[in-house]
Amino acid sequence: MEKKLSEMEFDEVGTVKEIAEDLRKQVAGMGIREGKNIRMATKQPIKGPVVVEVDKSFTSLGLGVAEKIVVEVG
Amino acid sequence: MKILLMGHPNVGKSVFFNRLTGAKVFESNYPGTTVDFMRGWMRLEGEDVELIDVPGAFSLEPKDKAEEVAVKMLEENRDSVVVCVLDASKVERGLYLALEIIERGYPVIVALNMWDVAEDKNIRIDVEKLERILGVPVVPTTAISGEGFKELVSKIKEAAPVKIEKIIENAGGGESAAVSG
Repeated sequence: MEKKLSEMEFDEVGTVKEIAEDLRKQVAGMGIREGKNIRMATKQPIKGPVVVEVDKSFTSLGLGVAEKIVVEVG
Repeated sequence: MKILLMGHPNVGKSVFFNRLTGAKVFESNYPGTTVDFMRGWMRLEGEDVELIDVPGAFSLEPKDKAEEVAVKMLEENRDSVVVCVLDASKVERGLYLALEIIERGYPVIVALNMWDVAEDKNIRIDVEKLERILGVPVVPTTAISGEGFKELVSKIKEAAPVKIEKIIENAGGGESAAVSG
C-alpha cells in the first residue's frame, strides 16, 4: 500500500517510492532516495517534524517535506 | 596546494583540523557550529601546507548558510586536495557528498572517521573494495585517538581526480541515478 511519509505510523517501515522533483536533491544528501528502506522513528504532535531512520542514521524532516514523499508500506 | 577538510556536520572535521595542525583548541559540542571556518598550517613532506576546516555540508546543493559557505570555499580553491571526512557508521550518506566532490573534478582522499564507533555498532566496511571502486585513497581513522592519521597524511599526495563514469563502471552499474542523484 502507498501512503505519504507523513502518514506513516510510529515504528512503521516502508520503502521510498516517490519523491517530489523539487525535493529530490535536497533530501538525497541525507540518504533519502527512491528505493531506500525507511522507518518512522519519531512523530511530533501539532504538525511538528518527523524523524526517520535510513541506513541506521536518523534524519528529521519537516512535515511539509514528509508530505511530498511517497512510501510503499506493508 | 591547499587542503580542504569537508564532510557532514558532526563527523569530527574540527578534531581532524586540530590534530593535523597541532592547534590546541577544545571542541564545543553544538551541532553544526563551524559556520565560521578555521585556517591553519600543517607539515606535509617537509612543506608547510594550508589547511582549511570547511563548514559541515550534507551536499553541494546548499540549503543553509553553512552549506553556501562550504560550496563557495570549494569553488574558490580550485587547486585544493579535499580530505572528505565521513562518519564510518553512516558511510552511505557520507559517500554521496564525497561523490559530488569527486564529480566536480577535485582530487579526494576519503577518511572513514569514527571507525571505533562503527566497530562498536558492528558495522564492517571493506576499505580495499571501496578504494577500488572509488579509485581514491580511503583511510579508516579515529580522530579523537589519532588512529589512522599517519596513513592519512602519507596518502594525501596520492589523491588524484577521478572520472565519475569510471566509478559507475567500477561499481558495476549503469545505475547512475544512485551516483548523480
